[in-house]
Amino acid sequence: MATLHLHAPDGEHFLDVPIGQSVRDALDSTELRVRAACGGSGSCGACLIRYVSGAVTPLTVAEYMKINAAERAEGLRLACQMRLNGDAEVRLDHPAPPSEWKSIPLDDLLPVSRSLPELEHHIYGVAVDLGTTHIRVALWDRKHGKRIATRRGPNPQGIFGADVLNRLDSVRSHPGRGAEMAKLARSAIVQAVRDILARDVGEVTPMLAEIGQAIIVGNTAMLALLSGRGGNELLDPEAWQRQIECQPDDPAHWSSEWFMPHAEILLPQPVAGFVGSDLVADLIATGLIDGPPGSLLLDVGTNTEIALWDGETLHLTSVPGGPAFEGVGIRHGMAAEPRAICRVSATDDNGFELGLIGGEPAAAARGICGSGLADAVAVLLQAGMLRPSGRFAAPPGPDGFRLDPANPRSAITAGDVDAFQRAKAATAAALVALLRSAGMDWDQVRRLCVCGAFGRHLNLRHAQAVGLLPALDSCTVELYADATLSGCEQALLNPDARAMFSSLTAKTKTINLSLVDGYDDTYINQLRLRPLIQKV
Amino acid sequence: MLDTILQAYKDAVYDTDKEAAFEVVDAALDQGVSPEDIVFKVVIPAVETMMAEITKDPDTNLAQHFMTAQIAAEVTEKMLAKFQHPPAIVGRIVIGTAAGDLHSLGKRIVSGCLKALMVEVFDIGVNVRPERFVEAALEHDAQVIAISAMMVHTATGEDGCRKVRELLREQGLEHRFRLVVGGAPYRFDNELYKSVGADAWAPDGVSAGKIIIDQILAVKPLEVKPS
Repeated sequence: MATLHLHAPDGEHFLDVPIGQSVRDALDSTELRVRAACGGSGSCGACLIRYVSGAVTPLTVAEYMKINAAERAEGLRLACQMRLNGDAEVRLDHPAPPSEWKSIPLDDLLPVSRSLPELEHHIYGVAVDLGTTHIRVALWDRKHGKRIATRRGPNPQGIFGADVLNRLDSVRSHPGRGAEMAKLARSAIVQAVRDILARDVGEVTPMLAEIGQAIIVGNTAMLALLSGRGGNELLDPEAWQRQIECQPDDPAHWSSEWFMPHAEILLPQPVAGFVGSDLVADLIATGLIDGPPGSLLLDVGTNTEIALWDGETLHLTSVPGGPAFEGVGIRHGMAAEPRAICRVSATDDNGFELGLIGGEPAAAARGICGSGLADAVAVLLQAGMLRPSGRFAAPPGPDGFRLDPANPRSAITAGDVDAFQRAKAATAAALVALLRSAGMDWDQVRRLCVCGAFGRHLNLRHAQAVGLLPALDSCTVELYADATLSGCEQALLNPDARAMFSSLTAKTKTINLSLVDGYDDTYINQLRLRPLIQKV
Repeated sequence: MLDTILQAYKDAVYDTDKEAAFEVVDAALDQGVSPEDIVFKVVIPAVETMMAEITKDPDTNLAQHFMTAQIAAEVTEKMLAKFQHPPAIVGRIVIGTAAGDLHSLGKRIVSGCLKALMVEVFDIGVNVRPERFVEAALEHDAQVIAISAMMVHTATGEDGCRKVRELLREQGLEHRFRLVVGGAPYRFDNELYKSVGADAWAPDGVSAGKIIIDQILAVKPLEVKPS
């Protein structure tokens, strides 16, 4: 890793950048994107930056063509061409207008080595993970098996409620709200695609017409809201066990609204009211059923979804652990985005060392994301500042305890700890319920796949110390930052995407935790901050 | 000696340490303290202290409510099994979660505290039809019907408390049963309980104990024999 020292109109930034990465790629996943209208080939010449000092790659042919000699002498470079060989300092005077869409770091996605060479027309495809909090989109050249670019942005339905229930309730109590929310989500998806085309291809409308397939996965409620239907049905507990109708009434209307006349829009059927197609995409990405019996998958998010493969059956459930792991409902909570505290460790002088996403110093922290919260709770517990009950040994007051005394946005409140305890207890109790359903015990678990942005920065030892994850000797742990979108991408590059989903769904057995005897007992017993009680 | 036991028990409960609470209780039994004294002189005073503290302590969190109520209920249950004579009870309630609602934890805290306070609790489950609340109250000769609803549409909907009130009115039963509600929507709107026809509401599971006992005593001030 090298440090990129960036002077931007809003001040100075210090970013961790892998050696060899271009400045454009480094900035595309942050708030400060360069202007761009091509895929980084140097053909648009829009991504001008000024080189100040440091170790970077020499000027390329594209730069000689796009930048005149006088400007070159002043240090002007193209951000897509200039790569870091070591620490460097650059100036970005004219960033792109602020946008909610950012690139997903490449490391978050699994490599896909498939293609569909037989395709003749409309070779592009879009994979969409429609999350409650975030929407993630990838655009692919399916014929050549090449990912053009990705985007992640907020689900605009959030203004009608942070969680699924509030949104469904909003639809129930406001006539017309359902249609409004459906339109919001649909236009967000196409905005993300347009952002990719504008910045990474350089052509929008003609390219939209070349898109041949769009696969959208998500939790059942998000898909029902996307189609503008099913809201009330999802509020009826009897309907949760059933498959919920999420298909668009008129797919042709969507493709014309999106200016994608040739796009086949595929919404793989969610498994049940409380288990969506996003979990099935996770199963595809992790290859869960290709692993040994006793393979567990945990997708930690606003709605945590869990799968257990026992060799014959996929036992599935979901648990509304609360959005604590995505930073929602936490005083200074935020998603795993640049300048979020994602790692906390204790220092020798009774202080705390904070790690930020993007690598900036602790003073730049804007808030704390899920893995940072898990770390903070574990470290405070080890230091004796938190009791196993979740109570602070010395109450920090309503503003909370600052991990960095100088930064109020590093504070953890009593309420944050409470939200964390409830989320981790719900997760642990759900894991126990699945093991019971399969007649298995903890010592039979061989593989644990932790999915979600949360998993990327997770400190396993800390997660085990507070009882968020089991500490198992015989078990391998795999972390997948973005399994859902990765699974959706794999489907996009398979000639029969529909069958990939339906063959997995056919192996499932869903468990509604509300109807499981003893779930509440397990939940309450797992609330204390201590290693997970490993007794099924 | 009871003072020391009470303090040790309160410390364990304050720290939501169930194992430690049981150690205190087991040690007390070994020292010859009766199960009756453990309930009436240790568990109940500890629950009362907790109710007083929770209402004034901003740092007490929901996870702690769940754990403390669970400890109180488990200790009481264990002691009741060892009682020489069945204890006098304060009254009886039926409790359940409203139709369309599967949230069970709220009513569980309430039940835990009430059991520790010698109220007989008949838990009729989640997703309970309004008719079932009234039938169960008649069946168990309860004084209070307690309805938990964690979602706006189950708190205010046609099949919730509103309908139970209507049934009580139609069947001329309003003098026999009091209606108490609880759950998140009532916390956001402190007057909501009135508009759904309830007699009272409680902001949290632990303080619901006192509110429900007040309602029981309003219907039936006399001591009843256990059923």
